[in-house]
Amino acid sequence: MSADARMRDGGADFKPLFEMALGVEAFASNWAHCDKIATYVARLVSHNRTDSLLYANLFSSALNELLETAFRAHRGGGELACHVSRSGPVDRIELTIPCDEVLRGFYTRAIEELSGDDVSERYVAALLADGALDPGIGLLELAVDYKARLSLEPGDGDAVRLVADLALEEA
Amino acid sequence: MSFTIRYDDNNQELMVAGSMSPQSAGELGELRKIFEKSARTVNGTLYLNVKRLIRLNNIAFHELAGLVARTCQEKPELKISVVTSSVVGWSARKFSKLARISPNISVEQYDKQFYPGQDVLEDGGFIPILRTQTKMTWRHEREILPRHGLKPGMAVADVCCGIGDFAALIYKEFTPSRLIAIDHAKPSLAYARKVAADFGIKGIEYVYGDASQLLLDDNQFDFVTCRHSLQVFDRPELILKELFRICKPGGRVYISNEKNSHCLGEPRAESIQWTYTEVAKLWDHFKMDIELGPKSRRYMMDTGFEDIRMESFMVTNLDGDPQDFADVIQAWEDVYAGKMAAERGDSEEFIKKFRQGFQDHIFAALHPKGYAGWPIWVASGRKPA
Ligand SMILES: C[S@@+](CC[C@H](N)C(=O)[O-])C[C@H]1O[C@@H](n2cnc3c(N)ncnc32)[C@H](O)[C@@H]1O
Repeated sequence: MSADARMRDGGADFKPLFEMALGVEAFASNWAHCDKIATYVARLVSHNRTDSLLYANLFSSALNELLETAFRAHRGGGELACHVSRSGPVDRIELTIPCDEVLRGFYTRAIEELSGDDVSERYVAALLADGALDPGIGLLELAVDYKARLSLEPGDGDAVRLVADLALEEA
Repeated sequence: MSFTIRYDDNNQELMVAGSMSPQSAGELGELRKIFEKSARTVNGTLYLNVKRLIRLNNIAFHELAGLVARTCQEKPELKISVVTSSVVGWSARKFSKLARISPNISVEQYDKQFYPGQDVLEDGGFIPILRTQTKMTWRHEREILPRHGLKPGMAVADVCCGIGDFAALIYKEFTPSRLIAIDHAKPSLAYARKVAADFGIKGIEYVYGDASQLLLDDNQFDFVTCRHSLQVFDRPELILKELFRICKPGGRVYISNEKNSHCLGEPRAESIQWTYTEVAKLWDHFKMDIELGPKSRRYMMDTGFEDIRMESFMVTNLDGDPQDFADVIQAWEDVYAGKMAAERGDSEEFIKKFRQGFQDHIFAALHPKGYAGWPIWVASGRKPA
């Protein structure tokens, strides 16, 4: 099955590779957590890819952007969960993020924006814009430069699940 | 977050290296200061070298893009050339966005030809010769390696692994706990992976990388090997520094190199000697040092190794099938006389004499009473604990 078909597929044959959860407050107490978690998880899931080092660098950069997005836009308590699974060439990262209405609105809009034909333009525009950074810029980059397929699903309770499918060996 | 920023006035080059993932642009004051200062002083082209940047989050990228854009506005005549890495997967893609700011900005991928013989070596036809070469040296090295500290169960890296046959031999003979083999030639790596798959070897990580700027962390390996390769770089000390860095304290780095002018044979010793002396000069012309072997000790000391062990061995026509030896020499003639000498612009007359020495070496190797040799120096040193 092609990477593209696997991404579209609901994910029956995605095998779990890694799972963790930690309190949002603990996570958000230190920015360096993003980089540390991204690097650690990347190392774990990359060893059986063709070029493990290259893969780990790409994977950790992508995961780092997701985590930084979650860090920037976090709210109060609950647990942040990170789940990684694999189906052939595709790795799926699922972040479960506790949400209030405002935050849910942010993620919904950010994901909607990715479906237009002009994502690439949007990413460049966000990058070259003066002033404060667009908080959704990381998702734009993933869609454009990593050819990630991103979607949003309702999570349990007050949470959303951000799903990123990545075929990094082909991107 | 750890990154370094350096401006080199001589090359008008601003180098940003390491991992850059700040929480806010405010943390990048140093970058701003150095960038603005260098942009003010340069004329012509400012080189922005990001070859060794392994992480750049969008906060830092946004800041960097802003700096570049402002500079272009303030100095419309200035050109900015961004040099990205071919090893870091996202690098070229990410930085290509900067070219949208102004036509004065160019973004290129650093992937220069590493040495003049490279494309010949990568040519599929040459691969059997490399394998023959390793087969001949392995007879000696499998016994030499334990004297330099290689034991089963170690974490091993083979840097500049070529077609990966040495790594496969290490894997079978010394059952390392981890084995990573790195080269900067994608065709060689593809070949290496295929051979490993054909033999059902799963434990070797073949990795694309640049030996002068490895993406590996410090202090990872018990034993680091780099064979026949320091001699192809114009600055071998930079590679050795990287080998030292990735080696664990108390671990050892093992290198092998040649001194081609000492290749020898009987009969026809004189012609053989003349040709190999010329080989050394030819390599020197291309800023490579095929005479490096005996200098290994000095290089290792200067890098900071201790307990340096050194020995030499001679691959000869008597080791195995003399035809193997002859095949290797023929391949050398094809590369050195057929390609490199031609590239240097040598006369026909010179090339004819140059070729004759290789033919005489082959003659000696195949002669029933002949003797032909190819000497190799190995050295290893311990990284201080
Ligand atoms: C003379 S070959 C030796 C190969 C192998 N070690 C052997 O003994 O057969 C030199 C090797 O260095 C590799 N090389 C050249 N520049 C490199 C670089 N910057 N980083 C990694 N490998 C490099 C070449 O691709 C080539 O495979």
